[in-house]
Amino acid sequence: MKSILTILIFLLACLTATPQEVTLTVDAPGTAAAGERFRVIYTINSTDGQFTPPKFDPAFTVQGPQQSTSRNVQWINGDVKTIATTTLIYYVTVSAPGTYTIPAAQFETKKAVVSSAERQIVITPAGQAAPATGQTQGQGQTRAAGDIPSAGTDVSLKLLFSDREVYAGEPITVTLKLYTRINLSGLQELRYPDFKGFLREDIESPPLRNLETEVIDGVQYGTGVVQRLVLYPQISGEIRIDPVEMTVLVQERTSAREPFFDDPFFDSFFSSVSTVPRKVVTQPVTIRVIPLPLPRPADFHGAVGSFVLESSLSSTESQLNDAITLKVVLKGSGSLNLAGEPLINFPQGIEKYDPKVTITSTGTSSGSKTFEYLLIPRNPGKFEIPPVSYTVFDPNQEKYVTLRSEGYEVNVSGTPGGTEGTDPVYIPGEDVKYLGQDIRFIRNGNGRLGTAAATLVTELHYWLWFALALFITAVVLLLRGEQIRRNADVAGVRNRKALRNARQRLARAEALLKGGKKGQVNAEVARALWGYLGDKLRIPPSEITRDRCYALLRQRNTGEELISELDRILTATEYSQYAPVSEGESPAALCKRADSLISRLDDVLD
Amino acid sequence: MRRTLLIQIILFAGLLSLAGQTPEERYSQAGVLYSSGDYSGAAAIYRKLYEEGFRSGDLFYNTGNAFFKSGDNASAILFYERAKLLSPADEDIDYNLQIARSRITDRLETVPQLFFVRWFDFLSLLASTNFWAVGAIVLFVLSLMFAVLFLTRARARGRLLSFWLSLATLLLSMLLISLSVRNNSLVNHNSRAVIMCSIVTGRSAPGETGNELFVLHSGTTVTVEQELGEFREVRLPDGNKGWIRADCMEKI
Repeated sequence: MKSILTILIFLLACLTATPQEVTLTVDAPGTAAAGERFRVIYTINSTDGQFTPPKFDPAFTVQGPQQSTSRNVQWINGDVKTIATTTLIYYVTVSAPGTYTIPAAQFETKKAVVSSAERQIVITPAGQAAPATGQTQGQGQTRAAGDIPSAGTDVSLKLLFSDREVYAGEPITVTLKLYTRINLSGLQELRYPDFKGFLREDIESPPLRNLETEVIDGVQYGTGVVQRLVLYPQISGEIRIDPVEMTVLVQERTSAREPFFDDPFFDSFFSSVSTVPRKVVTQPVTIRVIPLPLPRPADFHGAVGSFVLESSLSSTESQLNDAITLKVVLKGSGSLNLAGEPLINFPQGIEKYDPKVTITSTGTSSGSKTFEYLLIPRNPGKFEIPPVSYTVFDPNQEKYVTLRSEGYEVNVSGTPGGTEGTDPVYIPGEDVKYLGQDIRFIRNGNGRLGTAAATLVTELHYWLWFALALFITAVVLLLRGEQIRRNADVAGVRNRKALRNARQRLARAEALLKGGKKGQVNAEVARALWGYLGDKLRIPPSEITRDRCYALLRQRNTGEELISELDRILTATEYSQYAPVSEGESPAALCKRADSLISRLDDVLD
Repeated sequence: MRRTLLIQIILFAGLLSLAGQTPEERYSQAGVLYSSGDYSGAAAIYRKLYEEGFRSGDLFYNTGNAFFKSGDNASAILFYERAKLLSPADEDIDYNLQIARSRITDRLETVPQLFFVRWFDFLSLLASTNFWAVGAIVLFVLSLMFAVLFLTRARARGRLLSFWLSLATLLLSMLLISLSVRNNSLVNHNSRAVIMCSIVTGRSAPGETGNELFVLHSGTTVTVEQELGEFREVRLPDGNKGWIRADCMEKI
């Protein structure tokens, strides 16, 4: 029962409630840009009545009204208050700038007619709209990065370089770091420049989730590393690195401009938070790259940094055709990626395959690079694997450093020609490899150092030797000529006088014959003949014999008849000397025959 | 500048340490320096020996090698050319000279010498000038002896033989004299020279006024034809002529 009573009282109260005074208010901006759409809102605290819209200026393009009504009942301290509200919203666009007046609108109830106030509105030319009217973006709306406005000083992006002055090939660690003073909801687009002149390597890093707090110049920033890179300079000189661009999503409040909550307090509650993309850009940076000093050592293969070289051999004892591996490990920090393969002169008889190269990185640009050589000994015996010499450039010491690993001696056992089923390995003949060209070595013989002797041909005394030789020859010839002449005279005289001497002797023989000394005649004839032959044939008297005379006569083409005649006479003369006269020829006849023989011989012998 | 200073220091130190050593010891010490890689030091000692008047094909060959290794190509060519005059048949010298020549700037078309001139020069260089000179005297004396035989021998056959022998030895003696003279002019009065300046201009007249005709670089071999004051008229291997400053070349 009591509840029914209560309802009745409530209803009575409603009916007895005094109606409130009716008001009509208008809300419109004081300024607007030409072409911009703005709202003109009329609010009436009553629901029943007739609203007469104002007469808008013909320059106004009006849409609407959008009408809404609301009613609520308040019960305050026993007073029941009913609030009814009618809202009419007109959307207006003005194309021509100028000052306009919005005339009063009217609301007519049963009891009275109320008018709104007149409003002045200034339409400014397009583009000069006050920032306060700035555009609001819809939630989640994205635009092309190029149109995205800069985020200003609240958000900044920095490239931090480990070094700004490096040697060519020396790695630089680059950290891309974000600084922000406002809330960011995310990172969107990261655009790197092309890093001309550098070899770029990204370091895997977890995506940025939490920002750390850092205070810079008294201002608190949230910071975070976006990305780490390693750059290897490839060319020398001043190299400019273009800015890195990134789009960040900024959380921005947009005031909703609700008519009833035109108050900052309400703003904080009811304004919407939108995410807006903003562009952030780093400053361009110039890196100075110093070229590596020349001349580069022959075994420099591009490694810049500080390294150590290690090597290991799987086994120093091997069977024929069993593979062994040589590992050469380059450890340290620097341009491992650019480090080329070391040059190892493996001995002939060991087959070498191209190395397997693996890089293990333990941090930024430091780690190790392993060159694994597969070697197959093709001949038995002892082989020496020479120490590996590898030159790197150490930027800290600013010079080339040659690293050496140890050498090995490999003992290969087994017999060539294939035992135990292995096929004999055929090593084809190879052309001799010419590796380079150099001058030949010096002579290391015992120093045979001659000094320059005086030249003979330019000296006078040299030519005097020729004159001396000529002179001696001339003297020899002169002396010899004299002797010949003398010898020739003696012979000639004897030759010329031979006939005369022989005649004289014969004449003496005849005289002896007349004188009666017959015994001496034959001896005289013999003397005449021997003397003649000796003179004519140039035989000394001591050497004269019958045979020699005959030989010489034959040489001179004397007839045999003459020679036999000579022989008979000579025999007769000799015979008569030892025998009685009567038995031989008469001495007179012998004389005559000797005389005629000499005459005939003289004709022949001249 | 630092390099030349270094060479001077080495030279000075070398002179100090070498004082009192025989030339042969210094020669072998230079060989040791060369083997250990100190080419400039070796070159300095060799050069000193040359300046003291020592002459041998091996010495010049080593000097050339030391200069080549220390980077002085022009001096290397100069000494190889000198070595070639003393040992013309040494194939190593030709080889090294060819390598040194391949590293100089100027490439010139060489007009080859007539073959008999080349042969004659080669023959004359096979022995020293004095060897030829003494040989000429010996042959001349032999020739005279044959002549005496020819003039005094009575028997006809012997006479004819000695006549021809005498004539042949006389001609041979004259050949040897000309070889000796040629050798002397090649070795001691060679007209060829090697350009030592890194770059030098050949002009049409002695002095700085003549028209510029050509540019030569160090290591090129030229032939000196005339001398006038500080200038020399040179003939290039390709036959062109021009005047060059005398201090830019060194005679072989």
